[in-house]
Amino acid sequence: MIFFNPPPLVKGVVVPRSFRLLEELEEGQKGGGDGTVSWGLADDDDMMLSHWNGMIIGPAKTVYEGRIYSLKINCGPRYPEDPPMVRFVNKINLNGVNSSTGVVDLKSVSALSRWKNSFNIKMVLQELRQHMMMKENSRLSQPPEGQVYSN
Amino acid sequence: MAEQGAADPVNNNNNNKPEASEGTIIKVTVKTPKDKEEIAIAEDASVTQFKEEISKRFKAKQDQLVLIFAGKILKDGDSLSQHGIKDGLTVHLVIKTAHKATDGGSTSASSSASTQVGSSSTSSPAANPASTTGPAGSGPAPTQTPNLMSGFGDLANLAGLGMGSANFMELQQQMQRQLMSNPEMLSQIMENPLVQNMMSNPDLMRQMIVANPQMQQLMERNPEISHMLNNPELMRQTMELARNPAMMQEMMRNQDRALSNLESIPGGYNALRRMYTDIQEPMFSAAREQFGNNPFSALGGASDSGVQPSRTENREPLPNPWGPPNSSNPSESGGATTGSTSTSGTTNPSVSNPLGINPGSLGNGMFNSPGMQSLLQQISENPQLMQNMLSAPYMRSMMQSLAQNPELASQVMVNNPLFAGNPQLQEQFRAQLPVFLQQMQNPEALSVMTNPRAMQALMQIQQGLQTLQTEAPGLMPSLMTGGIPGVPTGGAAPAENPASSPSSATTSPAQQQLMQQMLQMFAGGGGGGSGGAGSATTQTPEVRFQTQLEQLSAMGFINREANLQALIATGGDINAAIERLLGSQPS
Repeated sequence: MIFFNPPPLVKGVVVPRSFRLLEELEEGQKGGGDGTVSWGLADDDDMMLSHWNGMIIGPAKTVYEGRIYSLKINCGPRYPEDPPMVRFVNKINLNGVNSSTGVVDLKSVSALSRWKNSFNIKMVLQELRQHMMMKENSRLSQPPEGQVYSN
Repeated sequence: MAEQGAADPVNNNNNNKPEASEGTIIKVTVKTPKDKEEIAIAEDASVTQFKEEISKRFKAKQDQLVLIFAGKILKDGDSLSQHGIKDGLTVHLVIKTAHKATDGGSTSASSSASTQVGSSSTSSPAANPASTTGPAGSGPAPTQTPNLMSGFGDLANLAGLGMGSANFMELQQQMQRQLMSNPEMLSQIMENPLVQNMMSNPDLMRQMIVANPQMQQLMERNPEISHMLNNPELMRQTMELARNPAMMQEMMRNQDRALSNLESIPGGYNALRRMYTDIQEPMFSAAREQFGNNPFSALGGASDSGVQPSRTENREPLPNPWGPPNSSNPSESGGATTGSTSTSGTTNPSVSNPLGINPGSLGNGMFNSPGMQSLLQQISENPQLMQNMLSAPYMRSMMQSLAQNPELASQVMVNNPLFAGNPQLQEQFRAQLPVFLQQMQNPEALSVMTNPRAMQALMQIQQGLQTLQTEAPGLMPSLMTGGIPGVPTGGAAPAENPASSPSSATTSPAQQQLMQQMLQMFAGGGGGGSGGAGSATTQTPEVRFQTQLEQLSAMGFINREANLQALIATGGDINAAIERLLGSQPS
């Protein structure tokens, strides 16, 4: 008789990438979160589930109020172990965002500075939104609406 | 393992499809940050149709709606299925409010309004597609206007550093309002050489501007402004403009023409309007608080940068700084004010002439305005105010330029309403001028002036002198108070007293000497010596300056004549005399 040792139930099971991304996709389509962020696959034919769109609605009582920020999120092959690449499409003046490319340096967002594989795209967007509300950011003068980064 | 591993990522397995799987109606949840509604819509509907439904349900206009699904904004031309919107899924909705360019929620406080304006002004140069070349300076420039004004209103705050007297601020605001409503005043101020002197010093101007915390905030948010300020060329050009009211008006007319040209360009009018609502409204609601005046209608930034700064500059020279030096003469502390006002007719503000500036010459309108007078009165009544005034940094430089340019000072004196009716006094004062000015420079003198008790003592002295003069006119050859018009003339010659008639002939020199003595005491740090002021002894300057002369000769200034002259001019102040002798500029 051969019996297979059941795989040890380790805490912190490594969730496969695609599984995670599909979950995130579903949640994005169902409007996860409180309606202030949104995300979804950029391209329906993207089998690798790598390229995502994100959207952040500028928080009230900040300079970002009333604006809708579009982001591009790229989940690499080692996601979620490795953090995704995030960059703003709409021009924004925010600490941690490269002013010429819009690339977000996740380490400058305190909640995301130490990436864990339990983090997900929703969290990235929500934390970025929180980041906008911080004192050092909430009053930075912003470029006019509608401008996008060129790359 | 995930059974969806190979599945088409878009089609989720857990579709809660209602009965009609091919059915055209799907239920989509529409979620706003506040609200959530389920909307039934045809599966193959377009985004526009979807928005129609939404606008009904959410009671918002269609063009205010922004739909987001899966991180993408749904454009009107798209269809729902294009985005993969299926039954049971959620779409996010953002309802745009009218002011889409408001940056940050700000309260109605003028400072935040101005900072708001500062940030939205950055949008104006870019947002104005029809802007002519070089609007970069003009974009932020209009926002400067209220700031500068409020800046000068607030400068008093700065200067006072915790100036407690609310009255003072009120007065200053009054004055500003007056200034604004009376454009000729403005041009008068412009022409006044003191102002021009001041304005010819770009550093000074810049310092004044920068010192205002509001400006600082504004500059922080809007680097263009600080560039403008840092550009001496621009500042100078600005000041040139401001100096020349005719040129300014010409510029404004040009701008007006440019503006109307703008309007004819397609899209230009909208841009203008946008600019107006973005910039001007908050700016003027801020300004209105301070000035009670909104002469502006449509304004834009689309002309040479030179014009905009002119608009900002022409509000700068407030009469305020000149008030105190005139009233701070100790003998004026009686607080007399003349009652004449001479505000010439105002020009109705028009678009081209936003301030309604009519570059006609005005008389002493500025100084005779009730606002100014009440200010003077207030100041003399409240020594604290004076102290605050004097501690203003710009005051120092004002004094300096006054001292360096006696003509200027005499002009200022002439304009002083207190002297307006009395040429005699003016003469006397002119004679006193150098002494007086040196006194003003003397920090001790300043400190005496800012010392309320000292001021009170001086007032007492003055009153005592008056009493003396009425009681014993023979004793005092003249009434020394230079500040009360009419009194010297009245008191100087009581006809029945023979002793006074010869004395009236010697009124001037005796008075002068008395004044000098007063000022000397002043220079001596004069809290004491109030008794000495009463004695109108006529010593020769040599005698009076005996000690000083000795000191000077001990230092090596052997020319006794020159020493004496210098001492007389400086009223016994050795240091100042030395400087005079050396011919060096006081630093």
